[in-house]
Amino acid sequence: MTPVFTILVPLVTAALVLLLRNSTLLMRVVALAGAVATLVLAVLLPGSRPFSAEWLPGFGVSFSVDGNGAASVLVFAVALMMIPALLVALTRVEKGAAGFAALLLAAEAGLAGIFMARDLIVFYVFWEATLVPGLLLLGLYGGEKRREATTKYLVYAVTGSFFMLVSILALKTLSGAASFDVIDLMLVTPDLSVATQTWLFVGLALGMAVKLPIWPLHSWLVDLNEQNHPSGAADVLGSLYKVGAFGFFAWGIPLLPAGASRVAPILIALAAVTALYGAFGAIGSKHLKRFLAYGSLSHMGIIGVGIFGMHLAGLNGAMYFLAAQMVSTGGLFLVGGMLYHRRRSFDLADYGGIAKSAPALAALGLLTIFAFIGVPGLSNFPGEFMSLMGAFQNAPWPAAIATLAVIAAGVYGVNLYQRVFQGPSDVRVKDLDGLEMYVLLPVVVGVLWFGVMSAPQMQRIEAQSQLTTLQLERVAASGASAPGALGLSAPPMGETLTLGGAK
Amino acid sequence: MTDLAHLAALAPLLALAGAFVNGLFGRNLKEPAPGIIASVAVAAGFVLSLIAFFGVAGSGEAVRVGFGDFLRAGDFTLSLGFHLDQLSVLMMLIITGVGLLIHVYSIGYMHGDPGYSRYFAQLNLFVASMLVLVMADSFVLMFIGWEGVGVCSFLLIGFWYHDLANASAGRKAFIVNRVGDVGFLLAMFLTFKVFGSLDIQTVSAMAPTMLYGSAVLTGIGLLYLLAAAGKSAQLPLHVWLPDAMAGPTPVSALIHAATMVTAGVYLIARTSAVYAVAPAALATVAWVGVLTALVAAIAAVGQTDIKRILAYSTISQVGFMIAAVGAGAYWAGIFHVLTHAFFKALLFLGAGSVIHALGGEQDVRKMGGLGRRMRVTGTTALIATLAIAGVPFLSGFFSKDSIVVATFTSGALAGAGGEVLYALLMVTAGITAFYMFRWYYLVFAGEERLERGVSEKVHESPSVMTVPLTILAIGSVLVGYLGLPSFLADNRIAAWLGHATAAGEFSHPSVATEWLLLIASVVVAFIGLGLGYWVYAVGKGALAKRLGNAPIAGASRGAFGFDILYRALFVDTGAGTAEAVTLLDREVVDRGLVGLSGVVPLIGGLLRRWQSGQVRAYAFAMLVGAACLVAAAAIVGVLK
Repeated sequence: MTPVFTILVPLVTAALVLLLRNSTLLMRVVALAGAVATLVLAVLLPGSRPFSAEWLPGFGVSFSVDGNGAASVLVFAVALMMIPALLVALTRVEKGAAGFAALLLAAEAGLAGIFMARDLIVFYVFWEATLVPGLLLLGLYGGEKRREATTKYLVYAVTGSFFMLVSILALKTLSGAASFDVIDLMLVTPDLSVATQTWLFVGLALGMAVKLPIWPLHSWLVDLNEQNHPSGAADVLGSLYKVGAFGFFAWGIPLLPAGASRVAPILIALAAVTALYGAFGAIGSKHLKRFLAYGSLSHMGIIGVGIFGMHLAGLNGAMYFLAAQMVSTGGLFLVGGMLYHRRRSFDLADYGGIAKSAPALAALGLLTIFAFIGVPGLSNFPGEFMSLMGAFQNAPWPAAIATLAVIAAGVYGVNLYQRVFQGPSDVRVKDLDGLEMYVLLPVVVGVLWFGVMSAPQMQRIEAQSQLTTLQLERVAASGASAPGALGLSAPPMGETLTLGGAK
Repeated sequence: MTDLAHLAALAPLLALAGAFVNGLFGRNLKEPAPGIIASVAVAAGFVLSLIAFFGVAGSGEAVRVGFGDFLRAGDFTLSLGFHLDQLSVLMMLIITGVGLLIHVYSIGYMHGDPGYSRYFAQLNLFVASMLVLVMADSFVLMFIGWEGVGVCSFLLIGFWYHDLANASAGRKAFIVNRVGDVGFLLAMFLTFKVFGSLDIQTVSAMAPTMLYGSAVLTGIGLLYLLAAAGKSAQLPLHVWLPDAMAGPTPVSALIHAATMVTAGVYLIARTSAVYAVAPAALATVAWVGVLTALVAAIAAVGQTDIKRILAYSTISQVGFMIAAVGAGAYWAGIFHVLTHAFFKALLFLGAGSVIHALGGEQDVRKMGGLGRRMRVTGTTALIATLAIAGVPFLSGFFSKDSIVVATFTSGALAGAGGEVLYALLMVTAGITAFYMFRWYYLVFAGEERLERGVSEKVHESPSVMTVPLTILAIGSVLVGYLGLPSFLADNRIAAWLGHATAAGEFSHPSVATEWLLLIASVVVAFIGLGLGYWVYAVGKGALAKRLGNAPIAGASRGAFGFDILYRALFVDTGAGTAEAVTLLDREVVDRGLVGLSGVVPLIGGLLRRWQSGQVRAYAFAMLVGAACLVAAAAIVGVLK
């Protein structure tokens, strides 16, 4: 039942928080207790028993969730970063803190559902449902132009989802699968004709590409981050609304390997463009939150390159990067919130030289920036490295172009540090207070943990990556559309269709 | 001893621990406690390096210390570990030995600085990263150290960050280094594609079985060269090092002279097995090294800042080392790393002593005659000057001569212009002697040209600074005897490093020829020094002033205009691209794709009509829409 509780506990906590909104202390305690409990559950996910219950038997839909595979790493990242996000939400949101916290918790539940779903309809429901808390956080707590940003996000998401839903429903009908369960689908969908697979994959890709996001479908992201609450708490979870890569990894490619192989050259090229485009966007940004959004967009491009390179190392790396980037990106949004708290501005021109008056903030800011730009030993490096190296094995040129983003990351990373923290110290600010220390503690732990302890987590992701490469090898073997050498060996079919959970 | 050698794995951890203690609690400690803590950490590392050295020397075998897995995908597992062999323990001794002296010197040099503990934390972090770089058994771990030293270099160059010029110098170093790092990353990707492994020993063992001279191997070699050029400030990525002088002078001595900038030499020596089967890449290495040595030596002549002269000198000397490894004389390259670590660290620390005494003055035109007032600094600086100039019986003479001879006798360069490279290096050696004489004479000899008010303050530095100078001076004399020309005596360092690197091919000229080459080196050194004496001591620099308007003099002062060129080519276009991207995003991607496509405005319009001023309506509408779609699909499913 662990995976189910990982979804239920934050949901129930959200409801309790809303009920208790008039007694501040109790509400805070309950919210944090719920988040900590969810973190404990997330730690227990690896090896947990998958859960399945009948839901709509007439339509072949069952409520199946499994906390193994990539989900165990991704849900852990969400649950870890939930704690600093909640701490900030409960203390720095002036009006309606309870509602804010409840929405964060609801978003956490939704994200856990997306990552753990093993039934395509369940996946879709969580995919859409997670939109709601995100939209409400932006719409109710956002900045001046929140209405435009909300509309934009909604339009992008709904349009994409429409095509995705059509593909999902056609998938089962056309393939004649017994149910929407991932195993049932994976056994038969690769046998669809290449043309059919391609059309269905394009439909899925439209929904997922918006949420990767990939150039040129990315612009909702920058406005979303800019207009979200200045504390940065909403952006912490927002940095995982970029769930498109996971969709491709867990559903799009393994279900429709021949179609994916057809479209992948286009997508990997767009992803490489995204990596550079985002990096240049960050260099050109003068608004701190837009800056972070563009930098993060660049990371998503690299993740996309790792996914569409369709090599085992790249798939492992991309999912690991997706989890790890949440810590550094989320951490930087929180640091940005702390800066805003001091100066009431996100304009980088309003900062400079504050390392003198706030050395601890500068030191932790620098650590997080270095993690953000992929300095080895910190969180983003293992995933970024594996994404690019894996993709390079199958698609050297797009991977090499995306690797150039590493230079650009050096530029925007040190630019940011210099503009905010270095130079003449005309601007004097308060250094970190006790609460902010506690907020940044999980960030520091996460940055180091993901940076160093990567092998066991990659191993868990790999159980799922191998499903994907196995499906691609089936296509290659049948000669439908050879995606090139997949390289690394995978165990035989029967053994790999589980993610390593207890039976 | 081999078991004890495992202890050396603690060396980087101790330095890291020192960095943590100073970083977290340093502000509560009184001077000089942070300096002592940091020095003790490095001293312990030096002792551990000695133990490892004797362990490897005793058994002749490399020692491996494993930690655990880091990355994995299918059959590929990358575990982290240290590989201690003849090459890595020698580098460890240089890093911790010279590093210790510079840490001790810094206790005096950084006296009274408000960032005292931060300085030592970052210096210790640097030593830890540099040790990881040379001890790593895989390219990935080496890259962790590689970027780690880059980060520390960035922090220490911009140490006095209140002045934006210093911060920008650090930024420039970091960004240029990242260009090299991309070379390193791509080299690793290609290595993995070809060898299926990123373990250095595995790759080295497989390399001889690969197709000799194939394009991918050449590609790997060129990409590692790009990485080396970034870290070791070689053409065309050398532009960051002169600006890096913005950091405190002991940092220039440790990072930007003795250790970090030689990492590229180490990388190429470490991957010598790959270069052995990629001759075109190896020849390119030699050419890059020689051209860098020449260009930087010419640039050094025209500088007026006491540290910038030494910076260009460092670029030039590292060029010699790169030329050596490019000739296949890996031992000669590392030998020059060793001797250069002593005399160049000494030159920088001597410059630091002068700057310290003059209260921050760095212009050599406003110095002169200081040798009479600062006996220890002046004498040790003279020894270092003669050593780098190539005066016989000092360390620089032996190591430089071995490099120059190697380009002449190298089999690898036989068809790739070895003779031209030899001639260019000889010219460069002459220029080196000239500009170093100029440096010494303008600072320490001749008449005093100090600014008013400065003269009274001039004093010799405290013994915490002069003792390291003296030890380095002794080293600058003696370490050269480890590598005497092999036709005269046992060459210990060549034999030692021969265990850890590939063997280059060399012709063996007659003893008479060897003597001739040796004498030619001596003659060139004295010509350079003599010219310097004639121009600056006899002619009082009048000739230099008269030639000041010649094109070559302008090129030398402006260091051949690389900075201006790069600003136009990369900095301005990069900034332009960044602005274009943000503009494009606002004006085209947003409006274009949302506004012009047919479907989206339709949906947007529908939503706008629904809009009741409440954002919740959007969410509600979406849910209703999604529900309708699900329902429609369900009906279709039932009908079917």
